[in-house]
Amino acid sequence: MDADWAAQRLGEIRTLMERSSLYRRALAPTTTLTGIIGMIAGIVGWTFPIETGKGFCIFWMMTGGISLLVSLLMIRRQAWKDKELFWSRPTRRFIQALCPALFAGTCLGIIGMVHPQINKAYLWNLPALWMMFYGCALFSAGFFMPRGIRLFGSIYVLCGAISMFHFTTEALHQTLPRIVHAHIVMGSSFGILHFFYGIYLSLTEHNS
Amino acid sequence: MKTETFSQINKVIHEKGRMAIMSALAANPEMSFKELKGALGMTDGNVSVHIRTLQQAGYVIVSKTFVNNRPHTSYRMTEQGLKAFSEYIDLLEEIVRLNRESH
Repeated sequence: MDADWAAQRLGEIRTLMERSSLYRRALAPTTTLTGIIGMIAGIVGWTFPIETGKGFCIFWMMTGGISLLVSLLMIRRQAWKDKELFWSRPTRRFIQALCPALFAGTCLGIIGMVHPQINKAYLWNLPALWMMFYGCALFSAGFFMPRGIRLFGSIYVLCGAISMFHFTTEALHQTLPRIVHAHIVMGSSFGILHFFYGIYLSLTEHNS
Repeated sequence: MKTETFSQINKVIHEKGRMAIMSALAANPEMSFKELKGALGMTDGNVSVHIRTLQQAGYVIVSKTFVNNRPHTSYRMTEQGLKAFSEYIDLLEEIVRLNRESH
């Protein structure tokens, strides 16, 4: 045993600690609240029919932004209560893992916003693409989070793929419904799925 | 001095598998069996054997509960474990420092 070996072992310990530190802050409440926001947004978009492509994109990107902001505030509050750093290493890695796919999804929304005359097929595929990108974001972040998040991300990717197949077929047959119904797709996927997953997390987190 | 330092090495933590478990538990307040296994890429048997040794040394607390009627095992590091792990790291740093001074 020599000093090189000791230095190597210290490096191994550092790597192991970094790699195994999991992000688990406020998962259940943020997921449940995101679900509630998603369901409310779905109902609002459908009831006060937001029918234009631009309106649809702005409305759902704002909903996503609000959900993100509320989640970050809850995470910050929990960190403050536990006297921990908000911008800790696990939080940083979790956010970094989410960013690329969320950025790609945002770009798709911006395209819908800046081109008001964009065709209906694009708009109908937006929820499917958002689901897939969001699923990818969760899957990436799942490597730094407790087990279950990757499965949740995979469910989104699967739902997105099914939706895309369905709506592309509808578009080819020119039987796409009015864009107002896309709010239901968004509300049920982003709202209901998050809500039930949040409930599941709150039940299992207390027991573990 | 050098021989003395080396002889102080904690043999329980020194083993590679147990060092990995202690590192993971030092970074997380609590980890389940699956999380530990997944994070370290160890087999079920390896995790169980090393955890038993760490538990016998008083470094780890094992909690067994039921989640949705399924057994759920989680692990936490004890105060004693944290102290021993800190001392182990301090000793490694001491070895590195002594070597730098001698060169």
